[in-house]
Amino acid sequence: MRVGEEAETRRGTLRTGSVLPATEYPTSTVQIFRYSAATWNTHRIHYDKDYAVAEGYPDVLVQSHLHGALLARYCTDWIGANGRLLELGLRVRRFAIAGETLTVLGTVKAVEHLDDAHAAIALELIETRGSDGETCATATARIEIPPDWLASAPTDETPNAGKTAA
Amino acid sequence: MAIDEALIEALEAERGVEHVEELGEISAVLIRRYAAAIGETSPLYSDSAYARAQGHADVVAPPNFIAAVINWGPGAPYERLREDGTEADTHLPGVPAKGVRVMGGGEEMSFKRPVVAGTVVTRTTTLADVSERESSQGPMLVVHYSDRYRDAAGESLLETVRTVLLR
Repeated sequence: MRVGEEAETRRGTLRTGSVLPATEYPTSTVQIFRYSAATWNTHRIHYDKDYAVAEGYPDVLVQSHLHGALLARYCTDWIGANGRLLELGLRVRRFAIAGETLTVLGTVKAVEHLDDAHAAIALELIETRGSDGETCATATARIEIPPDWLASAPTDETPNAGKTAA
Repeated sequence: MAIDEALIEALEAERGVEHVEELGEISAVLIRRYAAAIGETSPLYSDSAYARAQGHADVVAPPNFIAAVINWGPGAPYERLREDGTEADTHLPGVPAKGVRVMGGGEEMSFKRPVVAGTVVTRTTTLADVSERESSQGPMLVVHYSDRYRDAAGESLLETVRTVLLR
């Protein structure tokens, strides 16, 4: 696995304002159908194009939970076995239709030095659709990270410094 | 159309009422299908041997899996489905069977423990609050539901607050 490698390359690099690599997630009608099937989601907006058009959309829509799944995946792919996704707060802003490629980008908004063995970052995530670059979903994530990934010792730059681990 | 005093009263009457549901055992095949649907490639979600080597009892569910399943039962009879295809009585206490359009508005999730295949899950749902908002398509109600998911030992797995939009 690449766990050691990631820990090595990220050591000492993360601070408020750090931008994580963007990741693209393609979507499709088949994916949206399978997601509805796997979650027993019977809402017609996700599989009945005539219904979606009558509702004013160009095609069937990506489920809000699928947006959430992709944003969660962005976090878990990035942290791997080095840490843990603690919290994810999702807001769906605009629809995405089948076939859109969704791009997720994460920015570190705050760092938390919990103790010598524990640290966390607060990430702001933005998910945009490829057709016009509009934002479809935003999220905040809290991820436990190896403390030595942080760029420096505790400083005043941590707006969330008073927040403690659950 | 559907946003009226009677609906607001029905929702207000649900405020704080706890609905406890046994969701049953989370099976490995449900986890694997969910992981496949979202395009997951990590073997943690599909390969039992790999998951065990990582210290888990079996494959692990992707973080928002148990929050994403709309219905854990067989589904309502067709005559009880709403026009939009959603079911009349699942997971939306206070929302009537017909005449309301339901949209997801987002969710706050706090992941307490990994959910592994074989876990028996109980969910407690509570309507936290209701508020009215004007949207471009007329009046809308914003409802927050709290969901607490626990395993058979009572340990917390996941806590969420869902935002549901009604119009």
